[in-house]
Amino acid sequence: MAQEDIKNHLKETHDRVFEHNRSWAAEQAKKDPEFFVKLSAGQTPEYLWIGCSDSRIPAEAITGLEPGEAFVHRNIANLVCNTDLNVMSVINYAVRHLQVKHIVVCGHYGCGGVKAAMTPKDLGLLNPWLRNIRDVYRLHQQELDAIKDEAARYDRLVELNVVEQCRNVIKTAAIQQSYEKNGFPIVHGWVFGFQDGLLKDLKVDHESMLHDIQKIYNLTDTA
Amino acid sequence: MSQDTRDPFTYALSSNSAWAGYKSHQNPDFFPRLASGQSPSILWLGCSDSRCPETTILGLQPGDIFVHRNIANIISPTDINTSAVIEYAVAFLKVKHVVLCGHSACGGAAAALGDARVGGVLDTWLTPLKAVRNAHADELAAIRDDKARAVRIAELNVEAGVKVLMANVVIQDHIKERGLQVHGTLFDIGSGRVRDLGHGTGKPRAAAFGGGGAGDGEVIRGRHATLVFRSEGAGMQAR
Repeated sequence: MAQEDIKNHLKETHDRVFEHNRSWAAEQAKKDPEFFVKLSAGQTPEYLWIGCSDSRIPAEAITGLEPGEAFVHRNIANLVCNTDLNVMSVINYAVRHLQVKHIVVCGHYGCGGVKAAMTPKDLGLLNPWLRNIRDVYRLHQQELDAIKDEAARYDRLVELNVVEQCRNVIKTAAIQQSYEKNGFPIVHGWVFGFQDGLLKDLKVDHESMLHDIQKIYNLTDTA
Repeated sequence: MSQDTRDPFTYALSSNSAWAGYKSHQNPDFFPRLASGQSPSILWLGCSDSRCPETTILGLQPGDIFVHRNIANIISPTDINTSAVIEYAVAFLKVKHVVLCGHSACGGAAAALGDARVGGVLDTWLTPLKAVRNAHADELAAIRDDKARAVRIAELNVEAGVKVLMANVVIQDHIKERGLQVHGTLFDIGSGRVRDLGHGTGKPRAAAFGGGGAGDGEVIRGRHATLVFRSEGAGMQAR
């Protein structure tokens, strides 16, 4: 491609976004003239969504949730690390200030982050981040090693990673204290499949998971 | 959904099932194509705020935008979470545009404009925004209207964030090697419009992005059916 063609192509992709945004804003205003006025007034989302940055999983589109209904954090491989101030701030704000009722950790099959983490390669800046996935593998090594089919083994690791991140969410003081006081939020683990577009509920048992981890990670005042 | 009497959790799962059915009906190749991989052209760095769903407000589709959203769309140079997202999107997925987007009525901006402690780890996270406030204290204090002041600090926050992005070595390499573009934008919740602030690699193109363009009034609809979300449940209506 000539330099000029590349320039034009780059310009086109960006223009499309703003054109679509204008269409969307006009369409919303036509459907409900009060839509943006109401949005401006504030947010009271029921959900905190912690998902993967992967472009194929826009939280709102796949769940049919409208603007204003889900507070969203997305990072590489939907990880919740206790020293990451970024995700910890999101959880803190969502639970203590917005008082969300549900927290969904949503992974997806075919996750590039999970695959990259299991590749024996130095990925520079990504190493410390992806290390957390290797730790999940180590925790479930026996089960994972026994799965002979490679794709099936990755799929299982994706599920186990989601469950582990749910556990990490429950380990935070914000969740433990809010749950004790209010009976919410409830933590859920879901996995999105590209083959059919469907969400699979991993049926994480919030109550028993909380009970289990509190033997060691209890951050409420009552023992 | 707020009128729905059922558990919102159950509602979201049933909505998903309706959406998946709608998408495959519209285009049987949609999910198989998604499953084969992603090649998004945009990395979106935005706020976690529930009123700013990037794919929805830009009218785009799954597969179009790689996304990171955090509290007040703060770009901290040493935040490993954001840095990992940028590295993956720019160096591996080779996105063509990095879009940092702030928004009006941001809770984080309001917190940074106030003097009260927010609590927990949030005060530490909001430090860069506090620094922006301090650096522009006189200008911000001179704005009488609370909403306008929040918009101004959101703009300044985007400007500061773009500076951090432009200093990121991966981004610098890819600007030089293949013309990666970096943009600073602001989403106005009151009108639903995204405004290009003109920071980064580009200059504001008011003529292209302002109102009244050719895109106005266009409606993007499915070719064969419409997805409807109602209180009695989500469903698909064939046309």
